[in-house]
Amino acid sequence: MQQDTAIAQHGSVATDSNHNEAIETAVPALKLTNLSKRFGTGDDAIVAVDDVNLTIEPGSIVGLLGPNGAGKTTLIKCALGIIIPDSGSVSVFGNRVDGTRRSAYRDVDAMLEGARNDYWRLTVRENLRYFATIHGIDPNSVTQQHDRLLDRLELTDKADTPVRDLSRGMKQKVSLASVLAGGASLVFLDEPTLGLDVESSRTLQQELRRLAHEDGRTIVLSSHNMDVIERVCDRVVMMANGRIVADDSVNELLSDATRDTVQITSADIDERLVETLIDRFSVTVVGETAAGRTTIEITHAGERLYDVLDVLRNEAVTIDDIRTVQPQLEEVFVNLTGMGSEQTATSGRAE
Amino acid sequence: MSQDGTAVPHSAATDPRPATYYHLAKAVLYREYLIFIRYPANAIGGIVIALFFFGVLFYGGQLLAGQALTDSIEGIIVGYFLWTLSVGAYSAVSNDISSEVQWGTLERHITTPFGFAPVALLKGVAKVIRTFLTSAIVLAVMLVLTGTRLNLDPITVVVVAGLAITSVLGLGFAAGGVTVLYKQIGNWLNLLQFGFVVLVSAPVFALPWMRVLPLAHGSAMLQRAMVDGVRLWEFSITDLGLLVIVAVGYLAVGYTVFHLATRRARRLGVLGDY
Repeated sequence: MQQDTAIAQHGSVATDSNHNEAIETAVPALKLTNLSKRFGTGDDAIVAVDDVNLTIEPGSIVGLLGPNGAGKTTLIKCALGIIIPDSGSVSVFGNRVDGTRRSAYRDVDAMLEGARNDYWRLTVRENLRYFATIHGIDPNSVTQQHDRLLDRLELTDKADTPVRDLSRGMKQKVSLASVLAGGASLVFLDEPTLGLDVESSRTLQQELRRLAHEDGRTIVLSSHNMDVIERVCDRVVMMANGRIVADDSVNELLSDATRDTVQITSADIDERLVETLIDRFSVTVVGETAAGRTTIEITHAGERLYDVLDVLRNEAVTIDDIRTVQPQLEEVFVNLTGMGSEQTATSGRAE
Repeated sequence: MSQDGTAVPHSAATDPRPATYYHLAKAVLYREYLIFIRYPANAIGGIVIALFFFGVLFYGGQLLAGQALTDSIEGIIVGYFLWTLSVGAYSAVSNDISSEVQWGTLERHITTPFGFAPVALLKGVAKVIRTFLTSAIVLAVMLVLTGTRLNLDPITVVVVAGLAITSVLGLGFAAGGVTVLYKQIGNWLNLLQFGFVVLVSAPVFALPWMRVLPLAHGSAMLQRAMVDGVRLWEFSITDLGLLVIVAVGYLAVGYTVFHLATRRARRLGVLGDY
C-alpha cells in the first residue's frame, strides 16, 4: 500500500467538507519527489526532467514556464502517469500515481496541448456528460454544474452543437470545459489560451482565477504566454534543461528584477557622455527623443548606480527622470533561463 | 475509491454522485450509438463496399466456375458473412484506438479512475453489435441476390458468430497496441483483414490444430449452424468449450498486448505522440 496516513484521511473524509478543508491544508495537491526522466540511451540520451522536487498546495494557480525542450510537458505527463518516470515519485493529494493509480486519478485531469481532448462528433454537452462519467461522476447529478460551467465559458448557446462545427477558439473552450466537467481538484492546462481571441482569453483567465480562489481547485498552467501567466498565476515555476531554475510568487520574481534595473533620462546626456557610460558601466541607450532627451538603462545596477550618478553629477547633468524599471515576467524568464526573447516563443501572443 | 469500488470525486460543488460501472457502460454505449445514428455514412459505405465485392465474387465466379460455384454458394455466403463481421470488428477496434491516440482522448481515458480497460471492452461490445447490424443487411441482400435459403436461428447465429469474432477483437486490440507504439505501422496492419479469408476458410477437418486459430473453429461451427441447421444446444460441449476458450483466449492475449504496448509507450514517452 503506497499511501501515507494523510492519504487515508483524505480519502475517508470526502463527504465531510469541514474536515476535508482541514486535511487539504495538510496534504499537497501535487508532490513530485526526485523526479527524473531520460529519453534515449548513451551519448544520444536527453535528460528531459532532472531530479525535480516540487510541492503545490491546494487552491493555488501555478504557472509552469520554460523554453521549448525545457521539460515542461514531460513533467506534466509524468505527473499524470502518461509518461513513466525513470525515478522519483508523484503524489496527487497524497495518492501515489504509480501505486494507487485509480485513486489518484479521481482528483486530476488535464488538457494537453496539440490534442483535441474531446469528441468532435458529439455535442458540447454530450462531451461534458461523457467525460464527467469516465471521471467517476454520475452526469445526471452535475447537470447544474455543467450549465454553470457552460455559462461561465460562454458556451451555453453552443451546448447542443457538435464540437466539429465550432470555431477553433470555441473548441479550445470545450476542451477546457470537458476537463473541468469531472470536478477534478487538480487540473493541468497546457496552453489553454492558444487560439482564443482577446475577449475569450480574458474570460478564460477570470474563470481560472475563480476556479482556484472560489472553488478551491488547484491549477497548473503551462504557457508560453507570459502575460497570461503574470495575470493569472499566484506562483511561477521556471524550468530550463529539465531543472527548476526559479520557483516563487510572481510578485517576488518581479520585485527582485525591479530592484536591479534603473532608467535615467536627461537632456544633458550627449554622445561623448554616453560613450563614457557605456565603456565604464555597460549602460544601454533605450531612448532618444526629438527634443534631445536621452534615456539610459543600467541593469544589475547595485552599487554601480551610485557610480553612474557621481559621473552625471560631475558632468553637471540635470536628471529629468529616474525610475526603476517595472520588468515583465519575460525579462525575468530570459535572465533566469538564459534564453533569448525569440526563444521564449511568441506562440502564445495570439491575443 | 469508495468502499464499493466506485470513484469518488475529491471536491463536490453540490453533491455529485459517484458513477458506477453501470453509468460507464451507459455512457460508452450511448456515445457509440450517437455516432452510429448521427454519422451513418461509414456504415452505409461499408455495406455498399461489402455488397460490391460480393457481387464481383458471385457473378465473376459464375462466369468462371459456373455450376460449381452455385453448388457451394451457401458456404460462400456464410463465409462472406463471417468475414464482413470480422473485418468490421477488427478495423473498428484497431482504427478506433488509432483515432483515440490522435485525438488525445486515449490519454484522458488512461488518467481516469476507471482506466481504459472497461471502456475498451465496452466499445468492443458496441462495435460487435454495430457490425452485426450492418452485416445482417449484407447477409439479407446476399440471400435475395442469390436466391439462397439458410437456417437463421438467431440465438445460434448470434452466439456462434459473436464468439467467433470475439477472437478477432483480440487481434484488433493487439494491432491497436502496436499502432500506439509504432504509429506508421497502423495502415499496414489493416491488411491483416484480408488474412481473415484464410482463417474463415481454414480446413479444420483436415487439419484439426487450425481450430485454435482465430475464426477457424467458429467459422466451421457457423457453417454447420447456418447450412446444416445445427442449433446451439446441439453442438458438443467440446465444440462450444473450444469456441469460448479461443474467443476469450485471443481477447485476453490481444488486450494484454495492448496493455503492454501502452505501458511501453508510456515508458518511452510516445503515448499520444502522433
